[in-house]
Amino acid sequence: MNDLTFKLLAAARRLAQLLVVIVGSTFLVSLLLQLLPVGLKELYVFALDEAGRQQQIQALHLDKNPVMFYLYWLWDFVRGDFGSIVYPTGVLDPVMPKVTAAMPVSLRLVFYVQALALVVSVPLGILSAYRAGRRSDRVISYVLFSAASIPNFVFALLLASFFGVTLAWLPPLGYVAPSENLVEHLRTMALPVLALAIPTIATYTRLLRTDVIAALREDYVTMAASKGLSNIRILFTHILRPSSVTLFTSAALNMGALIGGTLVIEQIFTIPGMGTEIGIAIFSRQYFALQSYVAVIAIGYVLFNSIVDIAVGFVDPRSRDRRNG
Amino acid sequence: MALFAVVGHWIPLPDPREFDIDASAVGPFSPGHLLGTDAGGYDLLSNIVNGARTSLLISIVSVGLGGFIGSVLGILAAYRRGRLDYIINTTFNIMLSIPNLVLGLALVAVLANNADPAIPVNPNRRMFVIIVSLTIVIIPILGRIARGATLTWSNREFVVAARSMGMKDLNIVLRHIVPNVLPAIYAVGFLAVGVVIVAEGALSLLGVGIVDGLSWGAMIARVAGEFEYAPQSMYVPVLVLALTVIACNQIGDFLRGRLDVREGKI
Repeated sequence: MNDLTFKLLAAARRLAQLLVVIVGSTFLVSLLLQLLPVGLKELYVFALDEAGRQQQIQALHLDKNPVMFYLYWLWDFVRGDFGSIVYPTGVLDPVMPKVTAAMPVSLRLVFYVQALALVVSVPLGILSAYRAGRRSDRVISYVLFSAASIPNFVFALLLASFFGVTLAWLPPLGYVAPSENLVEHLRTMALPVLALAIPTIATYTRLLRTDVIAALREDYVTMAASKGLSNIRILFTHILRPSSVTLFTSAALNMGALIGGTLVIEQIFTIPGMGTEIGIAIFSRQYFALQSYVAVIAIGYVLFNSIVDIAVGFVDPRSRDRRNG
Repeated sequence: MALFAVVGHWIPLPDPREFDIDASAVGPFSPGHLLGTDAGGYDLLSNIVNGARTSLLISIVSVGLGGFIGSVLGILAAYRRGRLDYIINTTFNIMLSIPNLVLGLALVAVLANNADPAIPVNPNRRMFVIIVSLTIVIIPILGRIARGATLTWSNREFVVAARSMGMKDLNIVLRHIVPNVLPAIYAVGFLAVGVVIVAEGALSLLGVGIVDGLSWGAMIARVAGEFEYAPQSMYVPVLVLALTVIACNQIGDFLRGRLDVREGKI
């Protein structure tokens, strides 16, 4: 078998795996609805006369078995119909516009956090690794270990109370779209981003530190140094390139924790993102909407991780060989 | 710190639900209330100690149960290989594809429900649901670790030797694989306890956790909107929670450091 067909086969296998996971996770969420202690019909069918009841039941696919119910949902979902919020009057309020409104807000939040975390943790991790074992490194390590252990909502509440209320430097809650007022947007985002970024920075820095220390011990680094290459050159070409792979992989994995984090943080700071929408869906018992929100998050998370996986393959040929071999 | 987390719930203290009208929102170290009270006059120390029971019960039970089921599945998958391995591993992947807090939130929100929204769900049932949900969240995390560890161990010489001497599979797994896989599970298990304590707090903040105020998360959730009146009511549970999580992570990290040669050296 030549190299190209081999690669294509591997890619097809990956794609199939990806589809299995996506279908599986959305089906899992769909099954959740069947586990409701309350019947879906009692929750969402409000018509009083029998004909109206039957019509509503059919419109919501509630007369189908779990598998068919899922397939109907999937078919709608693929076509961009994310289900509806059902009002007691029988009025249907589609979920799709809510997702398109909330998604960018959450994505922006996550993007700021990842960007800030990487910008801070890369120099900090390198610094810490070069001074490994010295007092400054031990202090940084200990502080970071604690910071990584403290849940982000703790930071959120403390930051909101200190900077938002006591000092009143920054608005303790609210959200302003960047198109409306960029400065206000950044001011409202500052505290939530910080709350999510502190534990993230700690995690990344610790990881990079370990990685850089390990890389510094590699023979090829000693070799490069003995060839007379400058420290900066060694740092960028021999140390950071392999280390960045671990960093980006874990940044991708950390997306899951961040998405979970935004759920809480958005509610604390009343940011109209996916977390807030999910909260509303839970409180008003809109489980069709909840199903689609969770499905969107799961699909996004899986896709993002696969993309990073592929990107890592480009940066680090070693992982590519391992996978194919 | 770990000691504090363990002994915490055996110290006898006054009823946390009792409130002191005369001493609402008093500061720490005031007479009768060592850590002060919150805006409603609830004694914070007593709440912390009794909340510890709920928070730790939830986390230890769900990690224990999830760890057990996860390990059994993981070891089974890795030892048997083949189709069973594919099914179990894919199921783990599917469950991990939903961020764990989102999964936990969805499970609790769906399962802790009453036909009539006006009737609040019985607290015991709610706690049961939270434990079940968090167990489900933990299973794939620890199951994967168990699978990975078993994969590396089951090809080692002594396992192959045992098999070639005609030892039964069950015996091989119990004698040779489980003891070697367990340390890895313990290490990650402690980290998972920290994760679950945080998750419990987060669920409370999102309004689906324990609601009657006897867990750390509920304490935080209750005062989250009003902490300017009694700042200590915010700082106390937040600090206790953070310290406990740090303690759990420290133990987990220590265990992992001894196992992981690469990181252990550093």
